[in-house]
Amino acid sequence: MGSLLQVVFDALALGSLYALAALGIALIFGVMRLVNFAHGDVIAFCVFALLWPSTDAVAVVFAGNLPWFLLIPLVLAVGAALSVLSELVVFRRFRRANPATMMIASFALGFVIRYFLLMLYSSRPKSISLLPALSQPIEIFGARIPLLQLITILVTIAVLFGLTAFLRRTRFGLEMRAAAENFTMARMLGVRANRVIMGAFALSGALAGAIALILGSQTGTANITMGANVMLMAFIATVIGGMGSLAGAVIAGFLLGSIATVMQVILPPDARAFRDAFVYGAVILVLIFRPQGLLSARGAKERV
Amino acid sequence: MKRLTVTLCLAAALASPARADDDKIIVGFATAATGFMQAYDKPAEDAAMIRIKEINEAGGLLGKQIEVVTADTKTDRAEGAKAGLSVIDAGADLVVVSCDYDFGSPAALAAESSGLVSFFLCAESIKAGIQGVGPHSFSASVLAAVQGATMAQWSYEKKGARSYYRLLDTWTEYNKGICDGFDWMLPQLADAKLVGEDTFLNEDASIAAQITRIKALPQEPDAIMLCTMMPGAVSAIKQIRAAGINSMILNGSGVDGSYWLSAVPDLSNFFVPVQGSVYGDDPNPAVTAFNAKYKEATGGDPSTQYTYPGYVMIDVWAKAVERAGTTDADAVVAELEKMNAEPTLFGPRTFTPELHHQNQARYLIVETKAGKPGVVDEWTISAPIPVADLMK
Repeated sequence: MGSLLQVVFDALALGSLYALAALGIALIFGVMRLVNFAHGDVIAFCVFALLWPSTDAVAVVFAGNLPWFLLIPLVLAVGAALSVLSELVVFRRFRRANPATMMIASFALGFVIRYFLLMLYSSRPKSISLLPALSQPIEIFGARIPLLQLITILVTIAVLFGLTAFLRRTRFGLEMRAAAENFTMARMLGVRANRVIMGAFALSGALAGAIALILGSQTGTANITMGANVMLMAFIATVIGGMGSLAGAVIAGFLLGSIATVMQVILPPDARAFRDAFVYGAVILVLIFRPQGLLSARGAKERV
Repeated sequence: MKRLTVTLCLAAALASPARADDDKIIVGFATAATGFMQAYDKPAEDAAMIRIKEINEAGGLLGKQIEVVTADTKTDRAEGAKAGLSVIDAGADLVVVSCDYDFGSPAALAAESSGLVSFFLCAESIKAGIQGVGPHSFSASVLAAVQGATMAQWSYEKKGARSYYRLLDTWTEYNKGICDGFDWMLPQLADAKLVGEDTFLNEDASIAAQITRIKALPQEPDAIMLCTMMPGAVSAIKQIRAAGINSMILNGSGVDGSYWLSAVPDLSNFFVPVQGSVYGDDPNPAVTAFNAKYKEATGGDPSTQYTYPGYVMIDVWAKAVERAGTTDADAVVAELEKMNAEPTLFGPRTFTPELHHQNQARYLIVETKAGKPGVVDEWTISAPIPVADLMK
C-alpha cells in the first residue's frame, strides 16, 4: 500500500512539473500560434538570476540567499519580465509572420539567452542550495516522500485552480480565451491584442519561474541546459494534449509524468536504460489514435 | 662518405622541418581553451605547466628547455583534429589531448598517425590508449572501473558493508566504467550481496521512481554504489538524502570537490576515491606543497582531484624521455612500458605493452561528514582488473 502510494506521488510530482511547463507553452500557443522554444532557456535564466555572475566552480549565491517570501516572488517576476521582454523585443516584430518563422525566431532567442548565460557563468554546472527546508522527508499514509514533492503537487493544483478562475472569472481571462479561440474575431470585437499577448507571456514566464524554483531546489544544480529536457517533454505534452488546449496540455503533462514513472517501475532492469524510448512509443500511439491530440482546441482547427 | 652524411642530414632536416629546433623540447597541448571541456582540461593543464616549470628550473629535459605550444579544440571533435595537427606542425614531441576520450581522440589519432606520443589529460576509459587510439597513446588518469572496484572492496573490508544497491546513470561510458568495476569486484567479496539495481539518466528532472524502488527494499542497503557524474550526481544525491535514505553512498572520482556541497547541506556518509586530496589533508606533504604551488600559479586551490593527472603525465613522460635519452616516440613508449609501480606524487603508475592506463591504483578515500570532506583512508584493490574484463 505504502509503496503504491509512493509511486502515485512520484508520478504526480513529475507530472506536475511537465504540466506546469506544458501550460506555459500552451498559453502562448493559444493566443498567437507560437511554439516558444525559448521557454526552457527562460527556466534556466530564472535559476541563474539567483547567482552572481562568475565563472568560478563555486557558485556565488546572490539573490538566492533571500528569505522564501521574497525569493519566490522575485523568481516569478524575473521569469515574467524576461518573457515579456522577449515578446516586446522579438516576437512583436513577427506578428504577421507564419508560425514556422516564429518558431525559428524562438529557437534563436533561446540560443541568445543560453549563450548570454554561458558568457556570464561559463558552462560549468553550479550548485546551489535553494529552499533547503524543502529537502526533508515527510510521512503521509505510510509513504515517506520529500516535502518538495508534496509542495510541487500542491502548487500545481493551486496554479491550475488559480489559472482556471482567472480565465473564467476575469475580464482579462475572458479576453485571453476569446483570443485563443479566434484571434482575428476577438480583435474585431475590441480585445486589445497586444495586451492579451503580453499577459500570456507574463503568465508563461511566471510559470517558467515556478519550474525553475522546483527544479532548482530538487536538483540543487544550475546548468545552462537545464531547461532543455523539461521543455522537450512539455512540448510533447502540448502536442498530445491538443495544440492550444490548456486543459489538454495539463492532462498530457500528468500523463507523460505517469508513463515515465510507471515505466521506470515495471520495466526489467536491462530495459530501464531505454525508458524514454518506451515513453515516446506511448506518445506515438496516442498520436496514431488521436492525431488532433487528446483535447483539440477549437481555435486550432483549420476552417474552410 | 662525408658528402653522403651531409646529404642524409639535409634530407632528414627537410623531411621534418619542424624538428629543426634541436635545442628545445616541445610539448603541444591540443586541449579545450573554450567550451564546456575547458572546465576539465584547464586545471590539469595548469598542473602540467607546473611540472614543466619545475623541470625547466632544474635544468631542463636532456639538457634542453621544454617549450609549450597550444591549440584550442573548442570542445569540438572536428576542431580537435585540427588542433592536433596544428601542434604537430609546431613541432610537438608530446601531444597532450583533451580529458575525455571522445573529445581527445581526434587529436590523439592525428598524433598517432604522425608517430608521436599522445597523452590524454585525464580520460578514464580504456579506449584512451592502445585500444582506442594506438600504441603511442596513453592516459594520465586511472580507469573508471578501478574507482568502482576500490569503493566496493574498501567499503566491504573497512566499513563492513554487505548489502549493496547499484544505481547507474547511463549517460556516459565513464559512469558505466565505474559500475563495471563494481560488478567485477562484488562477486569476489564473500557474502556481499547485490540487493537491487536501477538506472537513471543524468538529465532526469526527478529520480523519485528509482528512490521508491530503494525504499521498497525490506531493509535499507548498507551502501549505494552511485555510478554517475556532474551535474546529475548532485541532483541524485540530493534526492536520495531528501527521501530519508541514509545508506553509505559510494561514488567515482567524478564527484570529488567541495564546490557543489552547498547543494546538499550537511551531507554525511558519503565516500569518494581520489588520487590526491584538494582539502589540504593529503598524507603526502608534497601534495599539499603542490596545492600551494598551484594556488600561486592560478590564484585558486585545485577544485577537484582531476587537476593532478596533468602533473603525473609530464612527470612520467619526462622520466621516460630521460631514460631513453631521446624524445623519439618508440624509445619513449618502450621506457614508459617498463614502468612498474613507478612512484609519483599521486601514487604508483604502471604501463605495459597491453595497457597504457592504470587498472590498479592507490586511491585515497575521502569521506564527507556533516558537509565537510576529508581523507579518512587509502586503498589499493587486491588485484589489477584484467584487460579482458575491461574490454567488455
